[in-house]
Amino acid sequence: MGGDRLKIILSLTPPLLIILTLFFGGILYGFLQSLGYQPAIQKYDINFDAYYNVMFSERYAKLFWTGLALNLWVSFVSTFLAAAFALFGALAIRKTFFAKKFCNFIYSLNLPMPHLVVAVGMIFVFSQSGLLARIFTQIGFIGSPSDFPILVKDKYGLGIILAYIWKESAFFFIILMSVLQSLGENFEELAQSLGANKWQRFRYVILPLVMPSLFSASIIVFAFSFGAYEVPAILGVNYPQMLPVMAFEFFLNPDLNARSEGMALSMIIASIVMILVVIYFWLTQSKIRKD
Amino acid sequence: MNNKFKFITLAIVSLFFSRLASAEVAPGFNSWDDVTAAADGGQVNVYMWGGSDAINGFVDDFYGVPLKNDYNITLNRVPLKGTVDAVNQVLSEKEAGVTGDNGNIDLIWINGENFWTLKQADLLYGPFAAGLPNSQFVAWDNPAVNLDFGRPVDGMESPWSSAQFHFMYDSARSNYEDMPRNYGFLSKWISDNPGRFTYIRPGKGGFVGTRFVKQIFFELSGGHDQWVGPYNEELYNKWAPKVWALLNSWEADLHRGGETYPTNNADMHALFANGEVDMSFTQSPRGAGPTNSAGTTPPTSRAFAFYNNMIGDFNYWAIPYDAPNKAAALVYANLVLEPTLQAAQVQPANGFCCGWGISTAKVTSSEGVAAIQDAQNNLGDAAEDQGILARALVSDIAAEYQDKIEADWQANVLLK
Amino acid sequence: MNDNLKKINIYAIYLGSFLLILPLIAFFINAFSFRWFYPQLIPKELSLQAWVRLKLIPKEGFRSLDGFLDLWLSNPTIIKALVNSVTIGVIVTIASIIIALPAARVLGLLNFRFKKLIIFIMVSPTILPPIAFVLGLNINFISWGFSGSFWGVCLVHLVPIMPYVVLTMTGIFANYNPDFEHQARTLGANKFRTFYLITLPAIAPGMVVAALFAFLVSWSQYLLTFLIGAGKIMTLPLLVFSTASSGNPALTAAISIVFIFPAIVILFFTSKFISGDSAATSGFGKL
Repeated sequence: MGGDRLKIILSLTPPLLIILTLFFGGILYGFLQSLGYQPAIQKYDINFDAYYNVMFSERYAKLFWTGLALNLWVSFVSTFLAAAFALFGALAIRKTFFAKKFCNFIYSLNLPMPHLVVAVGMIFVFSQSGLLARIFTQIGFIGSPSDFPILVKDKYGLGIILAYIWKESAFFFIILMSVLQSLGENFEELAQSLGANKWQRFRYVILPLVMPSLFSASIIVFAFSFGAYEVPAILGVNYPQMLPVMAFEFFLNPDLNARSEGMALSMIIASIVMILVVIYFWLTQSKIRKD
Repeated sequence: MNNKFKFITLAIVSLFFSRLASAEVAPGFNSWDDVTAAADGGQVNVYMWGGSDAINGFVDDFYGVPLKNDYNITLNRVPLKGTVDAVNQVLSEKEAGVTGDNGNIDLIWINGENFWTLKQADLLYGPFAAGLPNSQFVAWDNPAVNLDFGRPVDGMESPWSSAQFHFMYDSARSNYEDMPRNYGFLSKWISDNPGRFTYIRPGKGGFVGTRFVKQIFFELSGGHDQWVGPYNEELYNKWAPKVWALLNSWEADLHRGGETYPTNNADMHALFANGEVDMSFTQSPRGAGPTNSAGTTPPTSRAFAFYNNMIGDFNYWAIPYDAPNKAAALVYANLVLEPTLQAAQVQPANGFCCGWGISTAKVTSSEGVAAIQDAQNNLGDAAEDQGILARALVSDIAAEYQDKIEADWQANVLLK
Repeated sequence: MNDNLKKINIYAIYLGSFLLILPLIAFFINAFSFRWFYPQLIPKELSLQAWVRLKLIPKEGFRSLDGFLDLWLSNPTIIKALVNSVTIGVIVTIASIIIALPAARVLGLLNFRFKKLIIFIMVSPTILPPIAFVLGLNINFISWGFSGSFWGVCLVHLVPIMPYVVLTMTGIFANYNPDFEHQARTLGANKFRTFYLITLPAIAPGMVVAALFAFLVSWSQYLLTFLIGAGKIMTLPLLVFSTASSGNPALTAAISIVFIFPAIVILFFTSKFISGDSAATSGFGKL
């Protein structure tokens, strides 16, 4: 028994060590700095000034709260739409038809796409003089670029949402395909033989069965889109500004004191994500207890 | 009495000679030979904006090769997405307690705000600029050179090239004669051509837009001279409302009704190239030449300038306090001021973006003069007449105006 | 009724696929054209100029094998970036699998106190935003002297990679039956032979998936490499960002294609591992 314990500890140590020292070490430093503790410039205070400034000071309050609203909006909408897009895609592709393999490939194609490239791709396609606008012009829908709606670098984060849907749908798609595959056709056929129509089969058979995986995947996607920097940096605007971009900007301020504020904002972002994850765990626990 | 006299003379003379002897080329180096010797066999880490492959290639070829062949220094060019990234790196190194020669960056292509950020925080090495042999070609007495956004350079950065704000138009769509030559006529042009003009939003990454707005201050207030010197709050408050009124009066006729503006040069050029607006901005003495060759503007693009109030300034190389290869950095900073290389900068065939960092009048060697003449004659037809540009040239003004204008523009024009 | 529904189904799929490919089409057209301005749909000027400017293809007249080799061996920035990205990717992939393997086995097969907490810790880098730890880590690394070092960059790449590798491999072990190992041991095989002949083949597919995730995550790291590498370690994402800042669509498209090329190749060759019946991805449902 003792040997087992030792074996467990030794096996777990290497990855744990890396994550604890590098990841949590970095967070710890960031947290200390957000409290004003910066030994390198001989600052040893501990206070919440940075947090207060970021959220409530005249200079930043508006930027922060609009940024927060934008963040939540973008993350919720992209996660939901990406999941929906992938779900309907997966369900439809399941039915065998001749281009299945190809569509399968296309729908999962975006999985390895780096977000950087995705963002650039959105500009190429959805900007007012982009590919879609040119197609519309050729067809005759519009006459000039200004007739095309503003979909990227806009103040509602539409470009960012499009980018996340485009990329994350592949993630959902792959997971859904694997879940649907492992479920097999049996449940559905049974329901069908019992007289359930397509909608009922979807609502009462398929949906509950894919929900767990869908939910887990949604948490990951939401958390990621909430805290990610690259896509909003390329596709966002100056105002309102998504929080990770705002946080990074603090670090470009020559005043080293401003870094406390940058760290404070980063901690706030991380905390919000944590809260959501905790809610997720709590929800799934209660679900399991229900079942 | 005699002894005392001798003693005093000796003291004065030795003081004189010791000062002569300790006139350093740059902190830590007593002579230029010391510098080249120390740099020999090493590397130089050059951090610069990497968004132009033409500039990148120019640095690699025109500096990288001579550095290796003549000085035995290996060039390591680090492309950045923005100068501010290098500034951030130096700040981080300071925060982490790095000292001496233990940093990562040797040279930063820099000016304006970024320069001031590092200078005021004592994060630069120097003063070194006057100690470079080739600084004899730099017009240090010209305020446009020794002041960077209105703040004294104090030898903490050394010039590389220059840029002057002016405009582009597409000769396939418009005529040179019809282009407006001041803001008054521009206003008329805008109302005659609704939806066909916009400008870069003053703000981070959009200093060209801020320049565009600054120039309005000059014109409306009747002259640029009163703006030179330290920040003058009264003067600013007197004219700012009139400037915002003018900009707001354009709003309805601007591209997208003034609801949104391009944030940087790239976006501006894209609007221009895709036919959404009919003018763009340029800072190169070759006018639309660089962007035409890069393919980001139509080949028919040409340049024009207002007859007055076109801001021009210099950009520089600075050395961080903890640079690992300070000697090599000095060699590099000196090399870029070499007259033949400066002429190569301006030659269209070499694809470089910007103008002279030295004063061409100060060059006397026949080789240098010939190279300069050749470059001047070769600027190409996408360039505006250099005489017009020279007469319209005004210097940039105190840095405080920059922040003020950016913030007030956002409040008074964008959010109105 | 059913037929019509099926038709709508099919058209919807096609439309979806079309929208998904559209950006890729835009990349390719941009990368191989010059001055592709609005409203051109088909570019008026096809050209390799973007690739020449990126120093991937030699100028006209020099496009022999020698010409290519001369160009690449002159070590232009893009080659430096490619070499670094691949090298770092391979190193951290192998390292992460070796490090994660024992832990995954223990997490997948055994139950013990704090298991949930440990899994949570392992997974946290994927949940918490990079910005929360990267900036702090950067300062630490600078003061420890790792800033601007190749191995420093490799080390930090492990952080975002570890969760994926651990998770995937834990999923494999969760579906793994150790009985075969026991049988082999009772038949006299030693530890290494057992691992090599029994365990390894069984977990190989999962390892491949884990390796792919690891490589792709490392391949696309921007903020980490940029900050910790201090610009000294040039990787492809850094070059993509700085090229994108030029606003030159042809250049940006060309380098983006280079950037995503390995990802697409990997996806293509391993689609059978990732499709439906993979034990690896079903591990996600168990989260």
